[in-house]
Amino acid sequence: MSVLLRRAGRRHLVRHPWLIGLSVLGVAVAVAVVVGIDLANTSARKAFLLSVEGVAGRATHEIVGGPGGLPEEIYATLRTRHGLDDLTPIVESRVALPEGSQRTLRLLGIDVFVDDQLRSFTPRFRGDGSRGDGDPTAFLTQPGAVYLGEALAQQLAVQSGDSLKVRAAGEVATLEVVGLLTPPDSLSRQVLQDLLIVDISSAQEILGTEGALSRIDLVLPLEDVAEHEAKLAQLLPPGAELQPKSARSGALDQMTRAFRLNLTALSLLALLVGMFLIYNTMTFSVVQRRTLIGTLRALGVTRRQIFSSILTESALVGVVGSIAGIAAGIFLARGLLVLVAQTINDLYFAVSVTSVEVPVSGWIKGALLGVGGTLLASLKPASEATTAPPRKVLTRSDLEQEARLGVRRVSMVGFALMAASALLLLVPSKSLLLSFTSLFLFVLGFAALVPGVTLLAMNLLGAPMRRLFGVLGAMAARGVSTTLSRTGVAIGALVIAVSVTIGVGVMVTSFRSTLIDWLEVTLAADVYVAPADPGSVGGAKTLDPDVLPAIAADPRVASLSTIRRVRVGSQLGPVLVAALGTERPGFAAYRFVRGRPDDIWQRFRDGAAIISESFAYHHDLAVGSSLELATDRGPQSFEVAAVYYDYGSDRGVVTLNRTTYDRFWEDPALFSIGIFTRDGVDHERLIADLSSRLGERETLRWVSNRDLRQASLEIFDRTFQITDVLRLLSVMVAFIGVLTALMALQLERSREFGVLRANGLTPRQVWGLVTAQCGLMGGVAGLLSLPLGTALAALLIHIINRRSFGWTLQMEVAPMILLQAVALALAAAFLAGLYPAYRLARTSPALALREE
Amino acid sequence: MRSRRSTLILFAVTLLAASLLACSERHLAPKVPQAEPLSSAVETLAGGDTEGYEAAIEPREFVFPKDHGPHPEFKTEWWYFTGHLEAGNGNRFGYQLTFFRQALAPDAPQRTSSWGTRQMIMAHFAVTDVADGSFYSAERLSRAAAGLAGAEGPPLRVWLEDWSITSTTDEVFPLRLRAESREASRFGIDLTLESLKPVVLHGDRGLSQKGDRPGDASYYFSLTRLQAQGEVTIGERVMPVTGSSWLDREWSTSALGENQTGWDWFSVQLEDQRELMIAQLRLTDGSVDPVSHGTLVEADGSTRPLVFGDFEIEVLDTWRSDHGAEYPSRWRARIPSADLDLFIEPLIADQELDGSFRYWEGAVEARSASDTGERGLGYVELVGYADEASSDVDGG
Repeated sequence: MSVLLRRAGRRHLVRHPWLIGLSVLGVAVAVAVVVGIDLANTSARKAFLLSVEGVAGRATHEIVGGPGGLPEEIYATLRTRHGLDDLTPIVESRVALPEGSQRTLRLLGIDVFVDDQLRSFTPRFRGDGSRGDGDPTAFLTQPGAVYLGEALAQQLAVQSGDSLKVRAAGEVATLEVVGLLTPPDSLSRQVLQDLLIVDISSAQEILGTEGALSRIDLVLPLEDVAEHEAKLAQLLPPGAELQPKSARSGALDQMTRAFRLNLTALSLLALLVGMFLIYNTMTFSVVQRRTLIGTLRALGVTRRQIFSSILTESALVGVVGSIAGIAAGIFLARGLLVLVAQTINDLYFAVSVTSVEVPVSGWIKGALLGVGGTLLASLKPASEATTAPPRKVLTRSDLEQEARLGVRRVSMVGFALMAASALLLLVPSKSLLLSFTSLFLFVLGFAALVPGVTLLAMNLLGAPMRRLFGVLGAMAARGVSTTLSRTGVAIGALVIAVSVTIGVGVMVTSFRSTLIDWLEVTLAADVYVAPADPGSVGGAKTLDPDVLPAIAADPRVASLSTIRRVRVGSQLGPVLVAALGTERPGFAAYRFVRGRPDDIWQRFRDGAAIISESFAYHHDLAVGSSLELATDRGPQSFEVAAVYYDYGSDRGVVTLNRTTYDRFWEDPALFSIGIFTRDGVDHERLIADLSSRLGERETLRWVSNRDLRQASLEIFDRTFQITDVLRLLSVMVAFIGVLTALMALQLERSREFGVLRANGLTPRQVWGLVTAQCGLMGGVAGLLSLPLGTALAALLIHIINRRSFGWTLQMEVAPMILLQAVALALAAAFLAGLYPAYRLARTSPALALREE
Repeated sequence: MRSRRSTLILFAVTLLAASLLACSERHLAPKVPQAEPLSSAVETLAGGDTEGYEAAIEPREFVFPKDHGPHPEFKTEWWYFTGHLEAGNGNRFGYQLTFFRQALAPDAPQRTSSWGTRQMIMAHFAVTDVADGSFYSAERLSRAAAGLAGAEGPPLRVWLEDWSITSTTDEVFPLRLRAESREASRFGIDLTLESLKPVVLHGDRGLSQKGDRPGDASYYFSLTRLQAQGEVTIGERVMPVTGSSWLDREWSTSALGENQTGWDWFSVQLEDQRELMIAQLRLTDGSVDPVSHGTLVEADGSTRPLVFGDFEIEVLDTWRSDHGAEYPSRWRARIPSADLDLFIEPLIADQELDGSFRYWEGAVEARSASDTGERGLGYVELVGYADEASSDVDGG
C-alpha cells in the first residue's frame, strides 16, 4: 500500500511541476533572506570583534586615558619604577587611503622591542627572528617606516621599498614599506588585512599625538585577577583607567546589537511570508488531491499513512528549498554585508569586512527554519485531509463549506492574537525581543482576520460587481469566497508582505522627516569647520584651537560655537561627551524634551550636563539625575539639567559646557567650529576667504550649513539602503507566494471553466473573469494592508525604534507609500493571473471536461 | 514543459537580484608564498654597515669621569660587570650584569616624538648560586628612549627599565647596581661598588686590536678590583653579601675579522691582589688569532700588557649544554713571565645564557698548578660555540 501511496505522490509531483517548483522557490527565497541577513550580521560582528580581539593578541587588559589619550610617561613609570612586565604601549588610529578610495586602514604604532610578547603577528626584534622579511632597523629609526601583511601589500600594489600615502590628522603622510609580514596563523591573517604597523614614534608623528598613547595593552594573570587589577589601578594617576579587553569589544558589540536585531527581525518577516506561502501550497496540494485521498482512504489507507505521506512531501520541498536557499543566502550575504558594514561604518565605528563567514550554525539555522517552517505550515492541511471522513474528503463543496464556517473560529483566534500582542506591549520593558514577539503576534492575528474580511468584502462587492460587469462580475466575486480555503491564505500572504513594505516605508520616511526637522534646529550655524578627515566620532582628529581667533577676526563673523566630542569612561561604561563652547548665551541648536531653555541654560552654565534623549532612555536617567564621569581629575558627578532631542548617536551623548569641560579635562582640542555670520554674508565667499587665509592649515574642512545637511541626509539614506533591500526581498517572497496561490487556484478550476466554456463563455470572457478575480483579491489585499501597514509602522516607530535607539520619531504617513502599496498588491495579483488566464482560455472545453 | 521554463525564469530573476546585491564584493588577492624568514634581528643590528660611525683606529686620550659615560658616535658599547659575592653563612654567588648600547643608525632625523631614537639598550643579567648549583639568567631589550632605557653621564646612569647602574656622585664611585628578574624564579642584586684600583687600559694605551684591519679594534679599559656590598635575592631569600667585582668598559664600531669564530675571555682576581685578563680570539681553523692579548695588573695597580706568546691556555675538559653546544670547561693557563700556572674551573658547569644569542659566561675559580699556592676567583666568557651564536655584540 505504501508503494501505491508513494507512486500516487510522485505522480502528483510530475503532473504539477510548476506548483512544486514555486513552493521550492518560495522556501528558497525566504531561507535565503534569513540566511543572508544572518551571515551578513555574523560576519560584520565577527570582523569588528576580531579587530578588537585579534589585535589585542594575548592582552587581557588595557589602560586607557582621557580624551587626549594617555600621557606616555605612565608607561615608562610602570616599567622602570614599578618593574611591571607584559605591557606594551599602543598608538593607534584609522587612517584613510588618499584620493578616491573610501577605504580606511588601521595604523598601529607599536614598540617593537616588547610587542611580540603580546602579539603573534607584529615584527619581531629578538630571538628566532622576524616573520616575513623586512628591515627592523629602518623600521625603528626611519620616520614613517611601515610593515604590512603580504596580502594587504598585494592589494595596495606595494612592495618593500615602495612608498604609500595615507591621510591622517588632516594631512597626507608618506609611509615607506620596509617589510612584509607573513601571518603566523589564520587569525593574524585576518587582522593583518587592514593593518599598517609602524613604530610608535612614527605613529605619534603621523597622527600628531606626540606625548600621548592610545592605550597600554597588558596581560594580567588569570588567577586572582581582581587582586591584580586593584593593585595596578592604584599605581595609575587620575584620568588613566584600567579595564578588561572584553569591556571594549563588549561595548562595541552592545552598540550594534539593536541594529543587528532589527535586521534579523525584518528577515524573519520575510520568512513569515514564506511560511504562508508554504501553507498555501500544501493546502492546495492537499485540496487538489482530495479525490485521490478520498479514494485511497476508501481503499483502506490509514489516516496516519496519508498524514505522513503529506508531511514527507512537504519535508522534501523544505529540504530542497532550504538547500537552494542556503546557497543563495551565502551569495546574498556578500551583497548585504557591504550594506551592513557601510551602516556600521557610518553610525558606529570603522570596521573593514572583506569576507563572508559561513559558520556551521548559519547552515543549521537556515535548514531548521526552512524545513521546520515548511513542516509546520503543512501540519494543518495534512491534518485536515486526514481527519475528515473519506466520503467528505471526496467532495470539494464540503471543504469550502467548512472553510467558511471556520472563518468565525479563525477570526476569533486572530482577535486573541492581537489582544495578546497588545498585552505584551503593555509590559513595561525595554526588551526588543518582547517587542518583536508582539509585532509578530499582531501580524499573525491580523492575517487570521483576512479570510473573514475577504468573505465580508466579497459579499458586499457581489451586487456592485454585478451592476458593473454583469453576471461575470458577480461570478468573480463569488469565486473568491467559494474558494476561500485558498484565496484566504493567498490574500493573507499578500497582505503581510505589502504591509511590511508600508510599515518599513512609513518608518523610514518618518525618520527622515524627523531628521530633517532636527537638522534644521541643530545645524544652527552658517558655516562649519572640522578636521579635513571624516574621522570617527570621538576619534583622534582634532582642530587646533589656534584657528578660533583667526576666524573670529573676520568682520563678517558674528559669533562662534565649538564642539569637542570625546569618549569618556563612566560608571555606565564609555560614553560620548560633547563639550559645547558658545559665545552667545543660550542654546541655538538644541531642542529640549521638556523645560525652558533659559532655565536650563543657567544650570548648564553652572556645570550641569544636558543629555540626549537616547542616552536618557538607555541609562534610565531623567532631569535631576546625576551622572558620574571619569575626568582627568578623577571621577566627578554631574547633574542632569535637561534632556534634548538628538539623532546623531543611538548610544546617546552627554553635553557639557566648555568651561565645565575645561575644568575637569586637560584637553584644549576642538572637534568642530560653528560660525554664525552676520546678516547678508555670502557663505561661499566667506569660506573661500577664510580657507585661503588659513591656507597653510590644509587640515581644515569648511562646510556650509546646506552642504552639511545634505551630507547628513546622504548618510541617512545610505544607512537605510539595507532596509530597502529587505523590503524588496519580502515583496519578492510575497509576489512568488501570490503567484503560486493564484495560479494554482485558477488552474485548478480548469474543469469549471470547461463547463463555462461549453456553456458559451468566450476565451475573452475567461480572460475577463480570471483577471477580475485576481483584481478583486489584489484589491482586498491592498486595502487590508493599509491598516496593518500603518499599525506596523506605528509599532516600528514608537516601540521598536524607541527600544532600540531611544529616539522619538514623528510618525508621518505619506499617501504615496499607501498608494504604492495598493498598486503593488494589484500588480502582483494581475500578473499572477496572466498565465492561468492564458492557459484556461486556450484549453478546449472538451479537454477540460474530459478530466471527469 | 512550458511551466517548467517559467519556473526556471523565476529562479533566474531571483538569482539576478541576489547577484546585483553582491556585485560590489571585493575580491581578495591570492595568498603569496611564505617569505624567507629573517635571521636574528640582533645579528642584523650588530653586523652590517659601519659607515658613518667613528672607529677605534688609534690610541686616544681617556678622560674620566667623562669616558665612563656613553660614546654614541660608536656603534657598540658596553658596561660589563662580573663578580663574586659571599653571604654571611658562607654561601657564594657569582653575578653578571651587562648593559649593551647599540646604535641602529649612524645618524637619524630630528624627531618630535620622544619615542624616536637610533639607540637601543640590551641588558643581560645572571646570578650563579654556587651552593645550590643553580644558574639564573635574563635578557632585556629596549629602545633608548621615552625614559625606558638609556645611557648618560657623568654622573653615570645606564638603565633599562628597572635594571640600572647609577653613580651617586660625579666621581662615578660609589656606583649602585640594581637588577631583579621578573621571571617566575625571582633573582636579583642590589650592590654598591667602590673601586680599589685605578683604571686599567688594555692593549695599546686602551686601543684593543681585534682584527688585522685598522679600525677592527675597540677602546677598552677595566676596573679590575671593585669592592661590592649589598644584597642578593633568590626566590624569597634576601641575603646581605659582600664581595669583589670587575668592570669592563669597551666601545667600538667594527665587527670581528672575517676568519674569527669567537673568543674566550678570562678575568681572574688573585688573592695576592694581582689581576689577570686574557682575551683569546679563535680563528675558523681552530687556531688562536695572534691579535689575542691580555693584561696583568700588579698589586700596586701598575699594568703589563700580555701579547700573543706571553700566555698559553690549554683546554682540559669540555661540557655539553642542553642546547647541544660544546664548551671548554676546564683550563690550564700558563703565563711564565708572570710566574703564573693556573688551573681554572667553573664553579658550576651550566652557566650558559640562552637569550638572543647563546654564550657561556660563568664564575670560575683559579688555583695554582704549581706549588706557588696562588688562588683566585674570576669570570670566563665563551662565545662562538653555540650554533646560533652570533659574532660581535657581546664581548668583555
